[in-house]
Amino acid sequence: MNKAARLWAALAAPGAFWLLFFFAVPFYAVACVAFGSIDPIFRDAIPQWNPLHWSFSEFGAVFSSVTSGPLRGVFARTIVYVVSAMIMSFAIGFPVAYYLARHAGKRRMLLLLLIIAPFWVNYLMRMLAWVNLLSPSGLFSRFVGMFGIHYNWLDGSPITVILGLVYGYVPFLILPLYATLERLDWRLVEAARDLGATSRQAFRVVTVPMAKAGVAAAAVLIALPMFGDYYTNDLLSRSPKTEMLGNQIDYYINNSSQPQRGAILVIMLSTLLLIALSWYLRSTSKIGKERVR
Amino acid sequence: MERRDFLKTLFATTGGIIIGPSLLAACGGATTKSSTGLIIGTPDSPVTLPLVGEPIADGLANEGGTIEILNWADYTNPEVIADFEKAFGVTVKQSIYDNEDAAIAKLRNGTLKPDLIIGLTDTALARLMAGELIQPLNHSYIPNKANLITGLQNPYYDLGAQYTMAQFIYGNGIGYRRDRIDPAELAAQGYDAMWNSAYSGKLGVTDSYRDIVSLALFQAGVTDVNTGDADILAAAKENLIRLRSATNPKVDVLSYQELPAGNRDIAYTWSGDILLAPFYLPEGTTADVLGFWYPENTITANDFLCIPKASAKPVAAHQFINYLLDNDVAVKNQSYVGYQPALTNVSAEALINAGAIPETLVDAVIDDAKYQAGKRLVSLTPETDALWSDVWTTFTAG
Amino acid sequence: MTSVSTRRVKALPVIIWGYIIWSLVPVVIAVIYSFNDGRSRTVWKGFSFRWWFGDKYASVFHDPSMRHAIVNSLVLAVTTMLIVTPLGLALAIGSHRMKGKSAAAVQGMTSVPLITPEIVVGAALLLTFTRLFSGIPLGYPAQLLGNVTFSVSAVVVIVRARLVSIGSSFEEAARDLGATRFQALRFVLMPMLWPSIMASFVVVFATVIDDFVITSFLSAGVDSETVPLRIYSSVKGGATPALNALATLLVLTTFTALTIGVFGLSFWRKRHGETGGFKAALADLTRMGE
Repeated sequence: MNKAARLWAALAAPGAFWLLFFFAVPFYAVACVAFGSIDPIFRDAIPQWNPLHWSFSEFGAVFSSVTSGPLRGVFARTIVYVVSAMIMSFAIGFPVAYYLARHAGKRRMLLLLLIIAPFWVNYLMRMLAWVNLLSPSGLFSRFVGMFGIHYNWLDGSPITVILGLVYGYVPFLILPLYATLERLDWRLVEAARDLGATSRQAFRVVTVPMAKAGVAAAAVLIALPMFGDYYTNDLLSRSPKTEMLGNQIDYYINNSSQPQRGAILVIMLSTLLLIALSWYLRSTSKIGKERVR
Repeated sequence: MERRDFLKTLFATTGGIIIGPSLLAACGGATTKSSTGLIIGTPDSPVTLPLVGEPIADGLANEGGTIEILNWADYTNPEVIADFEKAFGVTVKQSIYDNEDAAIAKLRNGTLKPDLIIGLTDTALARLMAGELIQPLNHSYIPNKANLITGLQNPYYDLGAQYTMAQFIYGNGIGYRRDRIDPAELAAQGYDAMWNSAYSGKLGVTDSYRDIVSLALFQAGVTDVNTGDADILAAAKENLIRLRSATNPKVDVLSYQELPAGNRDIAYTWSGDILLAPFYLPEGTTADVLGFWYPENTITANDFLCIPKASAKPVAAHQFINYLLDNDVAVKNQSYVGYQPALTNVSAEALINAGAIPETLVDAVIDDAKYQAGKRLVSLTPETDALWSDVWTTFTAG
Repeated sequence: MTSVSTRRVKALPVIIWGYIIWSLVPVVIAVIYSFNDGRSRTVWKGFSFRWWFGDKYASVFHDPSMRHAIVNSLVLAVTTMLIVTPLGLALAIGSHRMKGKSAAAVQGMTSVPLITPEIVVGAALLLTFTRLFSGIPLGYPAQLLGNVTFSVSAVVVIVRARLVSIGSSFEEAARDLGATRFQALRFVLMPMLWPSIMASFVVVFATVIDDFVITSFLSAGVDSETVPLRIYSSVKGGATPALNALATLLVLTTFTALTIGVFGLSFWRKRHGETGGFKAALADLTRMGE
């Protein structure tokens, strides 16, 4: 090995080993707990460090609960909530990012600052703000009460949880969307307009394909944390009727005598996301190819 | 040194340092007695726990320095601790736990090495014994044991109180807002109130599987709250699903704040929590908005104080136990914690007269007779426990 | 057709201002209520500093547990920042220059944390620290390791973006003039990396001080409670406006760090004749360049 390569390797080594020890090894530990056994007296998980002795019986039990038991509802609900929240986030986030990138003009700097601000306001602070507003004596409840709408927002309603997710994650969507749209070559859109396309056609035929990859990346960026979210739900609902996958993981890992189930759910969540991600990677590489063509 | 050797050494040393203890535990330290089974006392068959280890000798002076206490959050009045520190010349450091199983796990793997544990219940005792985690007490340091209600001087789970000293007692019932639910109406409904869809969205249950599965059993007229009967538990599961769809309950341990804050109208809760609720009332709301319905068939329980085997300051720990069982100290402690000391002299009258609780909550005070009449949760066998857990997780998975 | 599109463009400002109001006003209201004279977080009783410092027991500056949480948060954020920035910097330079299979492996491992939900990392580390590396106690040590692990990749991304924009020509010039590889790295490349180091400091500080999931999974009860954990555990129920004040402090801290970062970065750029100024500095900090 030449001297230069050794220098680069030496520089990378501490960080690489850190990630090996505290990122890769923990994943192995999760598997060892998930496929280990349970101490009958202390109800504590006993990890099985040797993969040859892994037992899959508990995994099977959890899996059948997912396909036909109580966990089926949890998985379905999680997917429905996340997908609805994503759709609403795009409905709000796309026009905002589009305007900022295209038409903001002189005020762009001010608008940009105002739009970046929530990105750096603590997530829990933003949830705290809404819990205060939505509580029965809160400003929002009193405000809509004046119009005769008496709704207990915090009584465990799915709508509140989904809107909470939207409110929480929209800022994380807008910034990458803005970055994508700002970098687009808008001359192509103008060219399309000059060649007689309506604005709608130009948007569909030119803008959308150009922005696709960035938009998909932004979607992934908020979908991943949403799938693992439990605190939004905890703060805005805490009802079994809105229980999501993240809540189950939190419960099993932190508050129950069955951390093994928590480990299994972590593996299932990771697998689910891995499948979604590889689908995303395949479709973006397809987009890339189309663009080249 | 070759790079590969360097890496190997690095790997070996860092790995060795951190993995060491658990590998050792995996190889040689199998102290778990998994086959011997658990020793579980019940009111019908009380147990004398086998003596493991020796209690400390009589008449020792306390060790001084810092004693570490493992406690629930806000479960001992800081003023009581400060008084104790002053009187006995020690400093007290608290670690907090929020889950019995987690506490036992931390004791076992040595993450925590407290000198005294406050607030465990008899469902933990069998495992504490199986893991040989606690030491027998020397009663000569604890003359205030005599202040305990008779039922707990000689508890069924630990005859002779060899390892444990009872601290607080409580019973399960329904806390509610008297300004929103008529007391007579609630009493007429009894347990059925928890299934009343009129309270949907304004109802809470404690985040505790034994208590809530028992609630379902009581409502259905079953009084064996330690049952292992699969059919009965399956019925309880259906019952809880009905509760869930009728009332959309909140599952947490926050009713002591949410009832006074007005965010909740009714909650199945521990009596100690409702006694704590008046402290959380907003300004301008009087304590008589809070009510408590105490069922005829319900669970009563107590927690206890015990000293880990590994305690470095057992004498000071004994002294703290004795201190907490003093009548005056106990009243002071109650005024902060809300839970009721298991002492004969700390009666409902005494607490009302001291202004510690409003008269409307008199039913939440548990006396010796009520304590004796209540049903007890005892440790379940692993098989039965799995059935109970299954009911609970089905309920919470919505 | 023109009229339709003009109308659409006119609707956009409404959307954007609507969004800004919707996203910021609730937070502003929460800040205002920290000055409530009453005990309630929802019913206004007049202006006062009661929950900031007026109340001798329950205000942010007097409540020992809140002060404890503030100290914990600051210590955790600063120490994480100091450990992770050099670690990530070295990793970024090394992995950027390495070649072959090991380079791909290192780069792959660096990017996985970016696409892993925090709950997965939190749960995995908790299981690891309690069952495998049991020498590492939960609480501050575990929280520190966890946050370092989760933010290494962010530093790598920031530094790598800078490395790409710098290119290798400066170093090569230094080498041609007789500098050793290490000298070129130390005296030519490092000074040029300053903006990314500053950006890493700020981003890591702000991320860690706001972190909830990992810090919560790896906490050991009240001793290691940070401000976000405190907010989480007291949002429901009867917590006083002191909680709003505590949350406001957290937001102020983050914003202060960011402001220092933005001005520091644009100042650096100006001095070193780089273009972009304020906006580029902002982009560095929000990682919009990804």
